Amino acid sequence: MNIETSYSGDTAVGVVSGRVDSSNAKDFDGELSGIIDGGATNLVLDCGSLRYISSAGLRALLIAIRKTNQAGGGLALCHVPENILEVLEVSGFVRLTKVFDTVEEAQASFE
Amino acid sequence: MRIVVKPDPSEPRRVVDEVERFCLERGISNDIVFRFQLSLDELLTNVISYGFEGVADDPVITVDIRLGDADIEITIRDNGRSFNPLEDAETPDISLAAEDRPIGGLGIHLTKSFIDTLAYERVEGFNCLTLTQPLEAAGSEESPDEH
Repeated sequence: MNIETSYSGDTAVGVVSGRVDSSNAKDFDGELSGIIDGGATNLVLDCGSLRYISSAGLRALLIAIRKTNQAGGGLALCHVPENILEVLEVSGFVRLTKVFDTVEEAQASFE
Repeated sequence: MRIVVKPDPSEPRRVVDEVERFCLERGISNDIVFRFQLSLDELLTNVISYGFEGVADDPVITVDIRLGDADIEITIRDNGRSFNPLEDAETPDISLAAEDRPIGGLGIHLTKSFIDTLAYERVEGFNCLTLTQPLEAAGSEESPDEH
C-alpha cells in the first residue's frame, strides 16, 4: 500500500495503490490521519490502483470519514474498481462516502 | 495444495499471495482470486487474533485448496476455540451513519457476501470452514476465451 498525496487549498488528493489488508491497515490509518491532521478538511482518494481493501482497511476509512466530517469537510472516492465498489456496497460504505468517476468530479463536490 | 499457517499477524498476506499464485497459474479469473483474497484475509486474521484466546493447545492452522472441474474449494482448519462464523458472528447494521457505526464486525459479513457457498463443521477439535466458488462466476459477462 502506498499513498501519493497532492494538495490544492484545503483539499488533499491521495492516490492509493496496492492492497489495504489486516497487515497494513494501521499504516493506512496513520497516513490518512496525517493528511487530515495536517489541515486538509476535504480528502479525495483515487482508488484506481487499489487492488483490494479488507474490513481492517474499511475501519481506517471510517475513521477518516469521521475526522473529515468533524472538520466540516468530507471524504470522496474516485476511480473505484468494480470489485472494490462491491465491497463498499456490501459494507454500506457507499452511504458514508461519495463515489465519483474522476478526481475532478470528486474535487468539484467540495466546492 | 496445503498451506500450513503460523499464528502470526503477517501470515494472512503470505497465504493470500500463495493462493493468488495457485489460481493465476491455473487460469482462474481475477474475480475469484479477489473473492478468496478478501475472505482469507478476514477469516485468518480472526482465527489468529481471537481463535486461540484461552486455548492451551499449540495452534494448528491449515489452508487446503482443491481445484475441481466446476468449482474451487478452500478449507480453513484450526484447533482454536469452537467458533462457527456462519452462526456465531453478529450481523452488522450497515445502515448506520459514520458516527454511530461500531469499528469492526464487517469481516465475516463481507466473506458471506463474496463467497458463493460456505460450510462449517467442528471435527475432532478442529473448526473446518469450507469456501466454495464456481469456476464460472455468476453474472460474469466476459467471453469465455479460454475454452
